[in-house]
Amino acid sequence: MASLPPLIRRRFLSTSTNVPKKWAVKEVTKLNFKESLEEFKDHLAGSNFVAVSLQKTGSFSAAWHRPQPFDTADTSYCKAKYAAERFQLLQFAACPFTLRASKLTPHPYNFVLFPRDELKLGMPSYSFSVQTSHLTSMAQEGFDFNACIYNGISYLSRAQESAAKVRIGNPSPSTYIMNSSSTHTVADTVFLERIKSRVKHWKNACRSSKKDDALLSSLRKLVLGSELYGSRPCMNIDVCSERQIQLALEMLREFSDELVPLIIPAKGGGTQAVRVVLTSSKEDKDSFERELQNLEEEQNQRVRGFREVIDLISASQKPVVSHNALNDFTFIHSKFLSPLPTNVDEFMDSLHLVFPHLLDVNHMMKNIGPLRKVTNIHAAISYLNNHYFAPIDMENLPQENEEGTVHRHNVVKMCYLFAKLCSILKIPDNAMTSNNALLAPAPEEYTNISNPYPDSPQESINDDIRIWTKNMKKVSCNHLVFLWGFRSGMTAGMLKSLLHKSHDVFSEEFDVRLVDKSCAIVVFWRPGLSETFLDFVSSEEICGSLREIVSEGLRASSYEAYKRVCRLGLWEANLAESLDRALEDPDCLVEANLAANCKEIYWSSDSTINFDNL
Amino acid sequence: MNTHRPVRALSRALSRALSNSSSSVQPSSTFPLKNVTKSNFEPALAELRRHVAAADFVAIDLEMTGITSAPWRDSLEFDRADVCYLKVKDSAEKFAVLQFGVCPFRWDSSKQYFIAHPHNFYIFPRQEILATNPAYEFLCQTTSIDFLAKYQFDFNICIHEGISYLSKGQEIEALRHLSLAYEDELLAKWSNLKEPVHMPVVKMADTLFTERMKNIFTEWRDGLLRNSNGELQLQGNSNDSQQQLRIIFFKMRPALSLSGFTSHQLRLIHLVIRRHFQDLAYVQINGEKTCQQRLVVRTDSKDDRELLMKEVKDEHCRQAEVKVQAAVGFRHVIDLLSSEQKLIVGHNCFLDIAHIYSKFVGPLPSTAEEFVSSVNKCFPYVVDTKMLLNANNVLQQRMKKSQTSLSSAFAMLCPQIALGKKSTDLAFQSCVKVEVQVDDLRSSNWNSGAKHEAGYDAFMTGCVFAQTCSHLGIDFQSFLPSEHLAHNEKLQKHINLLYLSWSNRDIIDLTSGKKNAVSLGYTNHKKRYPEILFENIALIWGFPSKLKARDIRECISKVFGPTSVTSIYHLDETAVFVQFNKEKFVSEFLILKETLERSDGPVSVLHPLAGLLEGGNTQAANYETYKDICSSPSSKILFADQADAVGTKWKNKLIESKAAMESLERESFGEKNEVNTAFVFC
Repeated sequence: MASLPPLIRRRFLSTSTNVPKKWAVKEVTKLNFKESLEEFKDHLAGSNFVAVSLQKTGSFSAAWHRPQPFDTADTSYCKAKYAAERFQLLQFAACPFTLRASKLTPHPYNFVLFPRDELKLGMPSYSFSVQTSHLTSMAQEGFDFNACIYNGISYLSRAQESAAKVRIGNPSPSTYIMNSSSTHTVADTVFLERIKSRVKHWKNACRSSKKDDALLSSLRKLVLGSELYGSRPCMNIDVCSERQIQLALEMLREFSDELVPLIIPAKGGGTQAVRVVLTSSKEDKDSFERELQNLEEEQNQRVRGFREVIDLISASQKPVVSHNALNDFTFIHSKFLSPLPTNVDEFMDSLHLVFPHLLDVNHMMKNIGPLRKVTNIHAAISYLNNHYFAPIDMENLPQENEEGTVHRHNVVKMCYLFAKLCSILKIPDNAMTSNNALLAPAPEEYTNISNPYPDSPQESINDDIRIWTKNMKKVSCNHLVFLWGFRSGMTAGMLKSLLHKSHDVFSEEFDVRLVDKSCAIVVFWRPGLSETFLDFVSSEEICGSLREIVSEGLRASSYEAYKRVCRLGLWEANLAESLDRALEDPDCLVEANLAANCKEIYWSSDSTINFDNL
Repeated sequence: MNTHRPVRALSRALSRALSNSSSSVQPSSTFPLKNVTKSNFEPALAELRRHVAAADFVAIDLEMTGITSAPWRDSLEFDRADVCYLKVKDSAEKFAVLQFGVCPFRWDSSKQYFIAHPHNFYIFPRQEILATNPAYEFLCQTTSIDFLAKYQFDFNICIHEGISYLSKGQEIEALRHLSLAYEDELLAKWSNLKEPVHMPVVKMADTLFTERMKNIFTEWRDGLLRNSNGELQLQGNSNDSQQQLRIIFFKMRPALSLSGFTSHQLRLIHLVIRRHFQDLAYVQINGEKTCQQRLVVRTDSKDDRELLMKEVKDEHCRQAEVKVQAAVGFRHVIDLLSSEQKLIVGHNCFLDIAHIYSKFVGPLPSTAEEFVSSVNKCFPYVVDTKMLLNANNVLQQRMKKSQTSLSSAFAMLCPQIALGKKSTDLAFQSCVKVEVQVDDLRSSNWNSGAKHEAGYDAFMTGCVFAQTCSHLGIDFQSFLPSEHLAHNEKLQKHINLLYLSWSNRDIIDLTSGKKNAVSLGYTNHKKRYPEILFENIALIWGFPSKLKARDIRECISKVFGPTSVTSIYHLDETAVFVQFNKEKFVSEFLILKETLERSDGPVSVLHPLAGLLEGGNTQAANYETYKDICSSPSSKILFADQADAVGTKWKNKLIESKAAMESLERESFGEKNEVNTAFVFC
């Protein structure tokens, strides 16, 4: 590798230590995870927010796969879910920060992740997709892939952890609850007597075994089934039902204080045996139980890996600030909690249990008109700096020109932007610092992440969508028609003029917008026209120029078809292709009748929109 | 990596020296092989052209981001040859190649040894042109990436510095795209202006601007006509427009260079020129550093104008070609191997060839036969060392029945290279000597110590091949430089035979497209017992997870008789193949399952199959459905999920086949009735 250009070599070697700041981003790999975790825990406890930012291996494969203004909460969730399930997280930046009287104190951490199969169980992820453009831009930002793949921290989701525990099959201390009301059957009594006498013999033998010669003791081992657990003698009691476990535990508890029962799980779930460990005294028993606890803790840490951080954030109940909440939290849910549920409501419920307070910087920006369309944190910061006086007290903001470290500072910039927005939007910074479980009303309006483009906080709960990011008119999904199969290279304007002449319904006001090269949306402003049009297109009487266009391959469908595309996950590169596939499906007609609930969306009335840049 | 490799190699060399101190040890050279990235690609390619042209054979090896996109996509014993191909196709389409090893070997007859030139190309499928296409994506299998990391693969070099490429198909697409781009751009602008919807009420400002430009151009042209010596001024113009219009010469013609106009203004200018000036041409040229220049050029006549426009267009095409040629990148190496028609040597290389085809030639055909015939056109001579090692009894003995993995074959056949020692074993007296040359460094005792690096693996493959040839009785010493190794009679019967799947020893002949070419003395070692009859196989998935193969066999045997099930094979934890002893049982089983599911009566609960159908998610189908499911582009981790995702298709097929079955049923009513009564009473 002698041919490596010096520039790149320097980039690889650069670390955050060359940034002379009070705060420095801490890079965490599996090599320093343990001690960093302790540090993070302290910082988290001392701060009142935590910001998170993710580095993924990809986002959306085609233009129409990204959330569009005309998406409902459900369809945009489907899109985010599709990305979250395929792509992988390579870095999780978490930054606990305090914001008091516009003084910002961040403690940024970059956790480098790689889904290594540490336990050889095919978890956490068999494979993942990668977009070359994403990797290339990460490389330009100085991301170190070797550090990530060699030393990234692995993890298991909560769901995977419970599955893994069964498969690893480590003995666990019993969690027996005395059930006094149970009465013993004859079979129970026989079982109890049998194991009681076995345990008694074994215990006596263990106590007196010191004087035995080697042969005798090994014979005894064979006969009694006695083994060693660490340095302590133990024996196994085979059980074949939950009932027998309870009986065995009950008996052991009454029998002696020096015995510690352990549950040996069977491969594939259930319990195989109860292992009895003999301790020499009360103190020895306590110390053994402590040992077991430590062992379990260690084992759990090994299994959870990075997820420990997620658990800490969740347990802290601190408000979590993110920049693109829907995308980020679908990733977090699918990688660290459990597989994503099918619809957005279940997702929100499930997420809410883990992260009760979520704040989306993107949503807060929507309240400042000109920032509606800004998605870049840096651009937003410079806009706010130029237009508002809202000083935030923080040691120097990271600069763009620090080569090779851009990606490390994103999370700090986000904290800074958040602080600015709080100050401009006059959100009292103590509103969220109180330990009260309910948030103060002001910030609550920014917590809804289900809708990517809420027009106003009150309406964000509804399934409203809109077409453009500027002035909007409310439009019901029923008024929308998807058109595809037209000649390639058509612009929205050409399409509009074509339609204008084709049928009466187009004599009234309507709008056309291209979704991608292959597909367009038509909005009818008068109710009922969309149905008239759809009926006409599919009827026998179709005539005139519309007949001609349709015979050239034009197809039309209602918003239902689009919802179907998202729900079934027909993610073709062109929306037209996906819509065709959705209509191919035989169940299509049945479902169309069921879906009677109409949603409202927003449609821009701004006529100066440039159709070509869509 | 920079620091790791030498250290590792050194420590290896040391330990080797210590452990082998009794045998005669030569200090093995440890210079690195030739690593090629985009920064040194051009010179390395030029050099490789020379080496390949002179080579007797070229060994190759690939490192990929993964092998199987789901556990059940692994090659299984129950895979028919066409299914094997579908699995290979899926793998080649989904995963990327990160490293490509090419190692030309040339026999030096004067010195009586081979000279090898191991090259290690880092490649990365960056999208350098055609940015409008959907984002390029590939899959990574976590264990494969981890495996590469274990062998110190440098992902940073690969992603930062990897050589990009275009397949032949992409190249044609890109050329078309780029050459059209110029015309389209002009056309699009033109059509926009004509577009009534897009042309809002003609603004006063536009009218004034158009008028003014028209005057300026008229003035300039008339000025040119008046004094043809080129000394002309834009009279009466403000400083402002003098800055915007600069007089230059373009292709021997006077021209005005336009700068500082908005795109809207440029569009208006273009319109003015087209409407009012027959002898002026509006052209757009790509200057250095991709900055575009717009010119208004004065031409002598209409013909002259056409000529100029054509010249400009040709130039655009040429530039586009240069750009595309650069983007073709690593594919130049593949084109080189293909055009030189050299013998290509790989180790268990069917998947490698599929990768090469899908990345650098075009989309993989849907059947193995089509694939093989296309491959044969690009690479007429391919030989597989794994095939060779298993083909010959002498070699098998030589290998002492050890594994035929590349590294063990290398250690066994070429100990003098692998271990750096002179063997005293008489059997190895006939060792083929190989000298390695990397740039100016040469060594007859080379060991880069980097296993699972494509370049080194290619080198090992070549060494194994050379040694195997010698064991097959090919005498390199009397080898003429003009002789083509692929035509050697001792080698010829092994050429173009590849393992379609190693796990069930399916062989495919690249020349004829025939599968299972066992006739050539290839002993089928692994006797399948019992024999697999694909038409007797039913596929069952989605059954209760507590059911094991034994339980399923029991369930089915109760209905179809104790000997009805020949074997049961787990695809993964959610699906099994059940092989019946009679073909008709498959359809009977499927129909019975359907009937039971439709009726909810007590009989169906008590039916022996009820255990299998418990939960209501159990699905079953015939072997063809398995093939369909394999050909689907999606890859769910569990087979049951995959089958459900592919769902709609096989359901439809099932209905068709059921209809066919029913008509068949009516014909053989008596027979069916017999079976039905058997259900009730067993």
